[in-house]
Amino acid sequence: MYREFVTVLRREYLKFVRVPIWIAAAFVTPILYLVLFGQAFNLDALFPSGAGGAPYLRSALFGAPNYFSYFAVGMVAFVTLSMSLYAGTGVLFDKQLGTHQRILATPAPRSAVFAGTLVFRSIMAAWPAFLAFGVALLFLHVPGLVGLSVRPSIGALAIGEILLAEALLALMFTALFLSFGYVLTSNEAYFGITTLLNLPILFTSNALFPQGTMPAWLQSVTAYNPASLAVNVMRENLFATTGYPYAPGVYLLGLLGWAVALIAIALFLSARALRVP
Amino acid sequence: MAYAIRTDRLGKQYPGGTVALKDVSLDVRPGEIFGFLGPNGAGKTTTISVLTTVLRPTWGYAEIDGVDVALYPERIRRTIGLVFQRSTADETLTGRENLEIAAGLYGLSPAESRPRIRAVLAEMHLAEVADRRVRGYSGGMRRRLEIAAGIVHEPRILFLDEPTLGLDPQGRGQFWQYIRALRGRQPMTIFLTTHYLDEADQLSDRIAIIDHGGIVAQGPPAQLKAELRRDLVDVRTSRTVAEARAILARVPGVVAVERLGNDGAYRLSVARSEAIVPSIVRSCDAAGLELAAISTRTPSLDEVFLTVTGRQYHEAGDGEANGPAPPPAGGR
Repeated sequence: MYREFVTVLRREYLKFVRVPIWIAAAFVTPILYLVLFGQAFNLDALFPSGAGGAPYLRSALFGAPNYFSYFAVGMVAFVTLSMSLYAGTGVLFDKQLGTHQRILATPAPRSAVFAGTLVFRSIMAAWPAFLAFGVALLFLHVPGLVGLSVRPSIGALAIGEILLAEALLALMFTALFLSFGYVLTSNEAYFGITTLLNLPILFTSNALFPQGTMPAWLQSVTAYNPASLAVNVMRENLFATTGYPYAPGVYLLGLLGWAVALIAIALFLSARALRVP
Repeated sequence: MAYAIRTDRLGKQYPGGTVALKDVSLDVRPGEIFGFLGPNGAGKTTTISVLTTVLRPTWGYAEIDGVDVALYPERIRRTIGLVFQRSTADETLTGRENLEIAAGLYGLSPAESRPRIRAVLAEMHLAEVADRRVRGYSGGMRRRLEIAAGIVHEPRILFLDEPTLGLDPQGRGQFWQYIRALRGRQPMTIFLTTHYLDEADQLSDRIAIIDHGGIVAQGPPAQLKAELRRDLVDVRTSRTVAEARAILARVPGVVAVERLGNDGAYRLSVARSEAIVPSIVRSCDAAGLELAAISTRTPSLDEVFLTVTGRQYHEAGDGEANGPAPPPAGGR
């Protein structure tokens, strides 16, 4: 079981490092998002700095020192989601090449094949998010750019909670999209479904826009969106006053519930698709 | 006798209702090369898919090394190796890396697999290109890499699904040598599907012919041909005589006369007999029919197929999906 798992992991890794464009895109995408979206959506401009009460309003709305800081943390969730959308593509291509059928004819446990792919693809979804985070911090020192400013001291527990939130988010999205790869046979159907889900998940979260500006019906959706929950955990640990009603642990618990549910759905769909017809 | 593969009235019906296999019964003996011959769409791939546990049979029974295929798929998968029609290697990985992954999926440790990979690379004449990416491999090298991946875990039974599809005649000839060499390597049974008559004839110890999802003949190629109890005699008369056909048909032992073209050539189906050629010559002499040439040959698998199905082999199948029609077996 362990050896087959490591073998699948290694195969995924080798396929990744042999395609330089893939590596480059994974590096450049989050940076590009931060530079273009992050600097273009300068909602801070709506609050003239000289006006009385504006800094307070701004902080109350975003729960962050400025909009870019708010946005950069949301970007972590956005990048994780957009990278996880590709989780099932490897399986789809393997099906078309016959490699998938060859793997199924080996005694390797299906669970090891699924788990190996899930772990590699989750790492692939998570690390560009951390890269985005690091780059946003660096922007503080780049003249002409707004950067991510966080609390001066962040403890080990806070970092642990942030990492856990990111891990859960990456795992649940990757598991879901990976299972679509197992279930579906056509590329068009796969990309149709992922495109359909991508932006609604993003826009019903508070990753890019504060919940307070949304209509009530949307706010109730946003409150339970897993991307919101993950972002809440991160923002509460990074910024002094977010104004979010619950402690990070509560959001983490909600996120854990989502992860269990989505991974269970993914396992069910994948197991069905991998059953011998 | 313990069989390497045994099936009993195996059947497969797809969810859409298509019956791909009906009552396929096969016996494959340990250590033999078993040729599974049939036109495209006859049910070869479905049979191999059931035997390799990729498809579940709808009815009937199949066992490999005495183990029920439907009940113990995991055990079967450890026993068998599989070589697909198409190249399934990862293009951006090297030949060696592909084999390491194949071995790893069978649960072999790097220490166990390293010497085996070295051995199969040498055996398949891939040692020199082992550390190059598969993307640069020729068609023949890819086929050999597929075999190497199929045998790296030392299976007891190797399934080859149309292994020479898409290779040119020279490449096929070379490939056959590798298959024959495998037999000496270890006590391994080889189950080979093909739609090339000559391939089945040349490589197999025994063959089964499948048509429309059912087995129509089974046995050693020589025996199948002998069972027809007929030989073929080609004669060429020195001039075209109107009654030549009638004269030839009257010769004792001649079952059928077929005219080949307009230059006095005929093909006779005759009862198998040592005395048939002198008998034809005598009869023609007596009737005043001069013979310019006469030759006998045993029938090819093509004739076997014609006899058991009533159709010419090259007319059978589901069309040209897999390339040009297979060449006839020729007179051997």
